[in-house]
Amino acid sequence: MSINPRVDRSTPVIVQGITGRTGRLHAALMKRYGTRIVGGVSPSGTTKDIDDVPVFAACRQAVLATGATASVLFVGAMQLLGAMEEALDAGIRYLVTPTEGMPVHDALKVREAVRAAGAIWIGASSPGMAVAGETKLGFLPDDSLKPGQLGLMSKSGTLSYESGYRLAQKGVGTSVWVGVGGDPVKGTRFADLVPFYADDEKTKGVLIIGEIGGSDEEEFAAALTARRFNKPVFALIAGRSAPEGVTMGHAGALVHGAHGTFAAKRAALEAAGVTVFGSLNEMVTGVSARLR
Amino acid sequence: MFLLEHDAKRLLSAHGIPSPAGILLEDASALKSAVLPAAPWIVKGQIAAGSRGKAGLIRKAATLSEVQTLAAAIIGSTARGHPVGAVRIEKAVSGAKEAYLSLLLDSATAQVRVMVSAHGGMDIEQVAREDLYTDSAPADAEQLTACIRRLAAALPDSLRAAVGAAGERVVHAFLALEALLLEINPLFVLADGSWVAGDAKLVTDDNALARQPIVRALLERRAAAYPETALKLQHGFDYVVVDPSGEIGLLTTGAGLSMMLIDELREAGLKPYNFLDIRTGGLRGETARLVQVLNWIAEGRNIRVVLVNIFAGITDLAEFSRLLVAALAEAPALKVPVVARLVGNGLPAARATLSAAGIALHTDLDAALAEVRKHLSRR
Repeated sequence: MSINPRVDRSTPVIVQGITGRTGRLHAALMKRYGTRIVGGVSPSGTTKDIDDVPVFAACRQAVLATGATASVLFVGAMQLLGAMEEALDAGIRYLVTPTEGMPVHDALKVREAVRAAGAIWIGASSPGMAVAGETKLGFLPDDSLKPGQLGLMSKSGTLSYESGYRLAQKGVGTSVWVGVGGDPVKGTRFADLVPFYADDEKTKGVLIIGEIGGSDEEEFAAALTARRFNKPVFALIAGRSAPEGVTMGHAGALVHGAHGTFAAKRAALEAAGVTVFGSLNEMVTGVSARLR
Repeated sequence: MFLLEHDAKRLLSAHGIPSPAGILLEDASALKSAVLPAAPWIVKGQIAAGSRGKAGLIRKAATLSEVQTLAAAIIGSTARGHPVGAVRIEKAVSGAKEAYLSLLLDSATAQVRVMVSAHGGMDIEQVAREDLYTDSAPADAEQLTACIRRLAAALPDSLRAAVGAAGERVVHAFLALEALLLEINPLFVLADGSWVAGDAKLVTDDNALARQPIVRALLERRAAAYPETALKLQHGFDYVVVDPSGEIGLLTTGAGLSMMLIDELREAGLKPYNFLDIRTGGLRGETARLVQVLNWIAEGRNIRVVLVNIFAGITDLAEFSRLLVAALAEAPALKVPVVARLVGNGLPAARATLSAAGIALHTDLDAALAEVRKHLSRR
């Protein structure tokens, strides 16, 4: 699987759930950043426009009227599957879903539908994605988004905001930032983006921000080796001191026996030539020394 | 949520998966009034972890006094890091063949991995590779059932039909309960071809609880057996005591950043008490969630200082600081100093609010940690 997540300032984006508290706030923040928000969707159909963005009752109408190709969905976890299916049916081919708590069996179903449609899905539980200086889809805070040469992927929102912010202060910016999210079944995994970052000329190095649980980091390491990835790769992995058998906030962050442990991830990543850091300070120092 | 065997078996029986008769006993002294199935029995300690046999939690008993002794010894003990809150006393099954059957969500392929074997009754990692038949299929009843039937065809005649029939019900239960893992090991197959689940390991999806009324009712009834999940269901955020003897209470948001902070504190030789992803976006202008957390932290017997670490991408720190100061006033049980490290929107107003309450605001985490150390060194 290979996914090209690059979008730009001309990509027309709709916001599903734009009349909700979160949808409205982030539609405005994305627009302020430069994202081309062309419409919103609210099934109640009672709102004509919100903050100068036209609001439609259904995705199909929004796509017909605006030519949107991408959607950011601020929709409740239990409604997310239906809203994503509606977007796919309407012809949307790029979906970013910040919603936390999507049932795993819904994620299984929609992932099949996304693949069948040849679409790209970033999420669920995605803090968002951004091409710094051009466009952002999701929550990523502007202070963390400085244009540059580092490809950044993260399971965690907050840890990536803090990392992006500290790196930006040191003069390191990002090329394409993808918050893949902390769910076990997700639309885009670290490994799916290896071919993209290998070919992307604006990316000179890659940082993954991972955490205990699951096997995303191990798959990523294998994909690097298979691709003979030759740009510097860095990793920051959270949760090395977490107790076994307890979910640490993210549904995927669960250590079970020897599976998903920090040690297993570090060993796999280091064997693939990745520099693994033990703290934010080390990471910022190490990455900025190589990529500034 | 990793269900205890007894709870898993009750959920599965509603999906046509029978188990040997059994009862749950949470207090050994209540055995006298309990109605037991026929002797002999297996006494099984209930913890949310595997390898219970090796941990001495699965024991045979032929007489009531043996049951009494075992129950008294097992209840209240700790095995594999888990306190044992109860035993299941189950009718022993004899003369049965022991097969293995499991469905496991494979997140990498977004399919379901199916495994069957004629060699059940032990940890599946100990079963020789050539004795284990496995394949994966999409999370669809027809395709999964076909997959199990295909795999079961390789089993001996005496097991094939039973594993196929049990497999069909396991598939339906897996999908209906929105499971992440369902393992029947051993699957007892009797001489007449009938079958029962000897043990059942069931992990369900917490995110689906809202539409799983039966699992939800179980969780509410047995909240003490599932503290983390019950807490999240009740309060809508994550809080885990990572070290009951910890000295630093953490008021943090974001799972990744909170985990990283715990890692770094431990690396530096400090003792964090808790993990917390409070979700500042969920505070909605009210102090209730903050007060709840401050009171929980106050329960830590060695708490010396509270460290607030918020990286606010979106949250308005001015409002957060007002809520924090108000919440501290509403949580008088917490009598330790507070160190705040905040970055993001509304910093100047936040600094003024906190400073009026005697709390210094740091933007640099290392500076905040230096202040934490200062408080810890005041013995």
